[in-house]
This record gives sequence, C-alpha cells and structure tokens, in this order.
Amino acid sequence: MNQILVRHKWEPYLWLLPSVLLMGVFVVYPVCIVFKLSFSEISRSGVVGSLNGLDNYITAVTAPEFGSVMLNTLIWVVSVVGISTLLGFVAALLLNAEFFGRKVARSIMVFPWAATLVVQASVWKYIINYEYGALNNTLLNLGVISQSVNWRATYVIDFIWECGIGIFVTIPFVTFCVLAGLQSIDVSYYEAATVDGADFWKKLKHLTLPLVRPSLTVSTVLNIIYVFNSFPIIYTITRGAPAHKTDTLVTYLYMLAFSEQRKGPATALSVVGFLILCVCAGIYMMVTMRKEGEEA
Amino acid sequence: MNPMQANLRALAAALLCAVLSVVIVSLPVYHFEANVYTKRSGNTFVGDERYQAARQEVDALAADYSARGIETETTEEVIERTNSKGEKTSLVVFRVNKEIRCSGWDFLRTGFPSGKVLIGMLALEAAALLLAALGCLGSGNTLWRDVKGASRALRNGAIALSVAALAAAVVFILYTNVIINRQISLYATGIAPSPGEKVLSAADALIYQGAGGQDTAQLLKSTVSSVIPLWWLQIPALLGLTVCLIAVRDGHVAHGLQRGLMYLAVIVMCVVILYPFVIMFISAFRTDADATDVNFQYMVPVTWMWENLSYILGRGVLKYLLNSLILSAGATCLALLCGIPAAYAMARMRFKGRKLFMGFVIMSQMFSPVVLLVGISRLMINLRLNDTLLGLVFVNAAFNQAFAIWLLRGTFVSISPEMEQAACIDGCNSVTALIRVLLPMAAPGIVTTLIFVFINSWNEYTISTVLINSDSNRPITVGLTQFAAFSMIQWNYLFASSLLATIPVVILFMFIEKHLVSGLTSGGVKG
Repeated sequence: MNQILVRHKWEPYLWLLPSVLLMGVFVVYPVCIVFKLSFSEISRSGVVGSLNGLDNYITAVTAPEFGSVMLNTLIWVVSVVGISTLLGFVAALLLNAEFFGRKVARSIMVFPWAATLVVQASVWKYIINYEYGALNNTLLNLGVISQSVNWRATYVIDFIWECGIGIFVTIPFVTFCVLAGLQSIDVSYYEAATVDGADFWKKLKHLTLPLVRPSLTVSTVLNIIYVFNSFPIIYTITRGAPAHKTDTLVTYLYMLAFSEQRKGPATALSVVGFLILCVCAGIYMMVTMRKEGEEA
Repeated sequence: MNPMQANLRALAAALLCAVLSVVIVSLPVYHFEANVYTKRSGNTFVGDERYQAARQEVDALAADYSARGIETETTEEVIERTNSKGEKTSLVVFRVNKEIRCSGWDFLRTGFPSGKVLIGMLALEAAALLLAALGCLGSGNTLWRDVKGASRALRNGAIALSVAALAAAVVFILYTNVIINRQISLYATGIAPSPGEKVLSAADALIYQGAGGQDTAQLLKSTVSSVIPLWWLQIPALLGLTVCLIAVRDGHVAHGLQRGLMYLAVIVMCVVILYPFVIMFISAFRTDADATDVNFQYMVPVTWMWENLSYILGRGVLKYLLNSLILSAGATCLALLCGIPAAYAMARMRFKGRKLFMGFVIMSQMFSPVVLLVGISRLMINLRLNDTLLGLVFVNAAFNQAFAIWLLRGTFVSISPEMEQAACIDGCNSVTALIRVLLPMAAPGIVTTLIFVFINSWNEYTISTVLINSDSNRPITVGLTQFAAFSMIQWNYLFASSLLATIPVVILFMFIEKHLVSGLTSGGVKG
C-alpha cells in the first residue's frame, strides 16, 4: 500500500492541474504552433500566409547543405555520446576507488557539468586560438613545442574540436550516473568474486557492467537528447562557418530562423528534429515502462 | 617472500630510480643556440671576389670573439635563384653561431636561477629515500599491514616528498623556460623589459663562460633555447620512485604500481578538467594587450588587473547578474509550486491516466527549447511576454517541470507513506498531510530539485538570446556575450564576467552533486 486516501475521484487531477497548465501553455502549445507554421507560407518579415502543403519541407530538404548538416548531426551525437559514455565510465571506476583526495577529485569533476556552456565554449575558443591562444602559450612555455601551432587549420579540425568540447562537458554526467550505480552495488559480491579467483577484467565484465547497466541506459538516453539539442558550443566557436559545414540540425535551424529569416524551412526542420527525438523518446519510454512493469 | 626481503627490494628499486634521475640531470638536457652575427652577401657566387671579402669579414669577427674567449662556429648557406630575366643569382648567408648544450650541473655551477629548483628536486629525492629507509628501520621485518605509528608516518612522508620532487621537475622546466629563456630572448629582440643583471650575468657564465661581459645582452640576440625532450625522462623516473615508495609502504610492487598509475590517471584527469577554468581565471585579470599578446610572453598576467572586475560591473554585468537571479529564482519557485503537487499525486495516488501523465512527463523531457524556438517566440509575442523576464520565468519553469516532477516523485516514493496515512486517519486531509508531514521529511530532495532547477535556469542561454532584445532585461549568459562581438573579442572582460557567472553555480552544484545523481537514477530507473 503505497498510497493515501483520496476523498474524491477528481482530486488527483486537481493536483496535476497547475503542472499540466504550465506545460500545456509553454511546451505543448509551441509544438502546435511549430507544426502549423511548418505547413504555412511565412514571409521574411514573419507574416504568416496561407497553408502551402509540404513546400517548406521540400525547400528545407533540397537545400544543398541539408545532407552535410544531417551527417554532422549524426557524427556529433554518436561521437559525443559514445566517447563520453566510455570515458565517463572509466572516470567513474577511477573515482569509485579509494584514494587520498577522492572528495576533491569528485568536486573537480563537477566543474564542466555545472558551468554554463557559453562560458566553456568561449574559454575553449580562446584556448585553441592560433595567434594568442592559451594552448600555444602553455605548450611553448613548457618547451613541448617551439613554434605556435595552428590548432584550427580547417573546418574539419574545427568540427573535431567541437566534438571534443562536447565530450568534455558531457563526461561528468555519465560519471556521476555510473558512480551512483556503483555505490549501490553490494561489496560482498566483489569479495565473493575475489574468493572465486576472478581477476579485474572478469569482475568488470560479469559483475560491474551488468549491475550499472540501468544507470548507463539512463545516462545514454538522456545524453542523446541533450547532445542532439546542444547549441552553444557550435554557435560560439564556428557559428556553422564556413557555409554551414560545421552546423548540426539545431544550430542550422537557428541560423535559418533567426539570422537568415527563413522561418518556413526552419519550422519544417524543427518538426524533423522533433520527430527524430520522438523516436528516441519512444524507445526510452519502452525501456523505462518495461522496468516499471518488472517492478510491479 | 618475507616482508624484509620485499621491503629491501622495493627500497633498492627506489634507489635505482633516484640514481636514474641523477643520471638524467647529468645528461646534456639543455640546448642553447645564439646567433652572434649574420652576414648576408647579395649577388655573390661561391669563390668570387665578393665571397672572399665577406668570408674575410666574418672570419675576422670570429677570430675577434675567439680572442675574447668565445668560441664560435661559422656556417654558410648559399641560396640560388633564377630571376625574372632568366639570369642566375646567388645569395650567400654567413652565420656566426654559438651553440652549447649543458647539463643540469652546469646550471648549478654557473648559478643560473632555475638551478635552485634543481637542487630542491635532488634534495627532495634524497630526503624521500632517507625517510623510507628510516621507516623500514626496526619495522623491516613486519608485514606492511601491521606497520603502525612512526614507521608508517615516515613511509607516508617519503611518498609525499617524492611527489614533491616530481612537481619540482616540472617547475624546473617552467621556471627555466618562462622566467629565464623567453625573457632573455624577448629582451634581446627588444620586446620584453630587461630580465635583470643577475640573470644576464648567469646566462653569460653559462653560455659564454663569462666572456660576454657588457655585451651579453647583445650577444644573446636571437637566442634559441629549449629543454630538449630528454629532460622529460625525469617524469617516468620520478614516477618510478613514487611507485617504489608506495610499494615500500604497501608491501607489493604490483600494488604500488597500480596505486601509482591510478594517482597518475586522477592527476591527469584533474589537470585536464581544471585547465580551461584556470585559463579563464588567469585571463580574466590580464590587461587588454596582454590577453591578445602574440609573443606569448607570460603564462600568468604581468600585473593582475583586479580592476577588470569593477570595470565589467560598471558595464552592466551587475544588472545582468541581478536579472539572472530574479529569473532563476522566479522559475524555481514556479517550477516547484506546480511540480510538488503533481509529484505528490504521482507518488501517492492511483488514478486513471496516471501512466499517460507519466509518459507525457518523460516525453516532455525530449522537447528542447531550441527545436521549439520559433513557436515559443511567437507564443511570447501573442502573450505580450516578449522581451520580459516574466516570459523567461514561465519558459524555464515549464521546461524544467519534467525534471522537477521526476526528482520530487523519486524522493516522495522513497519515503514511507505510513506517517501520512496515520495523519489522514487523525483527520488531516491530503493537503495538510503533504504540507505538515511529507514536505519536512522530503526537505533534502526538495532542496536538490530547487538548486538543480535554479542552475538550469541560470545557465539557460538559447531562449534568452531569442526572446530578450533590450539590454536592461538580459540575463548574464546573454549579457556577457557583449564582450564577444564576432570580430573583436575582449577576452579579459568576457572571462571576468564568465567568472562571476560560473562561481555561484559551481559552488551550488558541489552541494547537491551527491543527492542529484541518486535522485536522477532512482527516478529514472523507476520510471
């Protein structure tokens, strides 16, 4: 019995009302607006005209940069989520071990998670600058290099940097999710495994991984959504330059809507992005709901 | 193997590492190349009159230096080209160079300032070995687990000292490169102020065996000097020392190696994570010119411009911070006011559509404000909330609803409902049960949610850039970009305001980090 007495049948709905109202107006209604706009003609000054069917979608999809933007989005999401999950997991194993100064190390790990993305992206932009950047400065003064290196030679390298920064700011979330999972594991499992003669890798494969899998699932799914929607890093460092070659879907549609004033195709892309996220959401819900079913 | 043997072996290995470190100090790890004189002779072919004349001039100069006790080396380079008329031209460049490689001992011998760091490093190594040996005296035959008291403290001290020696090896490079060499070469090329009489005379002794005298500064012109990579061998040698000393403390060499590697990984991780934040801090207090200095003179500001802070506060940053505070506090209150009742109903009541609402909450997490920006900005214009803080309060509260409900529900579910049930039997209704009984017990979870929503709203950037046009309504995340116009970026002011925007959230985050994660995963895994 995990519930309390409810006097009226409609009482629970009253409890939900404020939340539903808030989300209805500010989350669901904009979704409807975007859907409607994506099928309408919008002038450059923002005046909404008549419905024009799939015109916006066709304009958006046939744009020359559409292919590279979608490819960038895929690379961005897969590389950032994949690598940060791997590194975050290793970092969690490290921070779960007992050592002098563990508390300090954990506090330091919080930094990239807590600090605003715009700020971190700006700092990295400064660090990798060729003329006066901090990375060249540090390496020159450490004697590692004897001449400044151009860290941003081509847009491909720019995009790699952006992915790297994305990974840098995503790792802590994975780490702390896995740490929470690791801490809930009973130590006696490991003791038993040690008695049975399992080495580090065996314990990792047969004990740790299965036990932290739920945490990893949560962090991976949430990260897919966050990373897909991540905007400030690319916007601050390259703004998609040159010619949308470093844009992902999200930054591309922002540029379309607010700097090129082509809101029609932009809303069509919003719907596309939205549908992609819905698929992820569906998968995620299936996973979590199944879990709940198992528990009940 | 008995404990005595194990201890002795580890000690011997530590000694070996220390000896290795001393050997590396004795290697020629430093490389100076000073270009004393350059003679460019145009339109000159090897062997002709002009060549002979130039050669004589250069040889005379070299002999002159040689007489003063400065041995030099002369190189010649012939550059042949065919000009536009098809004639062959030739340029001969004579360079009189002074090249020297010196070991760590040369630094000590000539009193070069960074030599002191070297002495420190060697002393730390010797002291570490001594402490470790003392720690084994009398307790050498004891199993490491049972080593207690003074012996254990001594062995711990030895480890600390060897780590300090490791740090000194890095400081030596930094000190030599930053404070001495770069300063000398920049001085010689007229960019930096004089490095001082002491440094100049030490450099004279090191490179010219004291023969440079008054001309040292002139002679050091276009000096290229660097630690050659050989010096970096110190790092593994000293790491080895540390590992061996850990082995002395803990008994197993393998165990010591494992611990050493782990510490190395943790240190590397922390350095990488802190690097951008340290850069932000350092650069925030540079002068305008210093922040974009193409000569990379200094790693830290020459003069710390603390007044940068007051300058940016005067440029509107104070107002932006206040705006951020208002908007985040407003969004947090609203999100909790709507979220707590919903989470309560979800955790404690059974009703039709509960699963549907849960699904909606999870789904709405996928809605990102960025994807919906066009819709949101239209909605705001319709509601006349465009360009107001109130509009941002609503949007931030709405987009944080899902997380708030999720975290709060997790907290409520983890608290047993018995107390509330008892209270209900005593005549409380569900409202008073929530306020009087559940909320006080759920306080830690509520604080976590509160701080998390606050930080999210504080850090929000994308919606604010679109919705806010007037300067007086900007939150800090948008406001600080005024220092980052695409063509001209005032890095020092940008970072000074970034610092003010970052410090409060990082501190808040450290408080809730532990609770937040367990809340996230329990909420998430339990759906």
